Amino acid sequence: MGKHDHIICLELSNRLSELANIQEALEANAERLGVSTAMLMSLNLVVEEAFTNIVNYAYADQEQHTIAICINRNDQQLVITLTDDGQPYDPTQNADPDIELPAEKRQVGGLGIFLIRKIMDKVEYERKDNKNYLILTKNMTQ
Amino acid sequence: MNVTVITKDEHTVVALRGRLDTTQADAVEKEVVEILDQKHSHIIFDCKEMDYISSSGLRIFLIAQKRMMATGGQLKLCSLQAGIQEIFDMSGFSMIFSIFPDLESALNG
Repeated sequence: MGKHDHIICLELSNRLSELANIQEALEANAERLGVSTAMLMSLNLVVEEAFTNIVNYAYADQEQHTIAICINRNDQQLVITLTDDGQPYDPTQNADPDIELPAEKRQVGGLGIFLIRKIMDKVEYERKDNKNYLILTKNMTQ
Repeated sequence: MNVTVITKDEHTVVALRGRLDTTQADAVEKEVVEILDQKHSHIIFDCKEMDYISSSGLRIFLIAQKRMMATGGQLKLCSLQAGIQEIFDMSGFSMIFSIFPDLESALNG
């Protein structure tokens, strides 16, 4: 075990009200995950954008589903994995918005996935056993 | 999130306090649109006590900017916390808004 090895896992239902629980869990574990106050906000944003996308777009039915979020920290990396049983959806295929356009030409929306890509160092998607896995990696300096 | 409006000379200062996340965005957007509907010519969003934003919050700023530009009004932002400034930089929003370090300079700028 390295000095930073730590893992937290949350099992949440597909409701936006769970965002408060995500925030609380991140704040409570920030120190153990070796995350500074400045980085806490961007990590919260990353998890919020990914979670919100799943809640809003992954499910065609009105049933309750479980979305799992695991945050795994080792000496070199912090890895966030979101797992859901929704429809296949690969956000890594989304086109980036043009962020150099003037305000009147900017699209309202579409920034969520883009911000995840900017903040994290690696964004990977896998589909297996009828589940979506979104794996977000941030390289951590010692 | 708490939204407070005060008037200072020709400026309408909208102070945003707390977290502007997905769960707050709809309510805040409604309040902001109501303020925009009053057709103030100079609006300042004071973000001193806004300590979190996600894309759903950025969206509200963009809506406000588009509306103000369309009506020839002037929109300024001030006192962005460091983490929020970073998100504005990443999204290209720093280039499409007039951002001031504090309320004083926004009122005079």
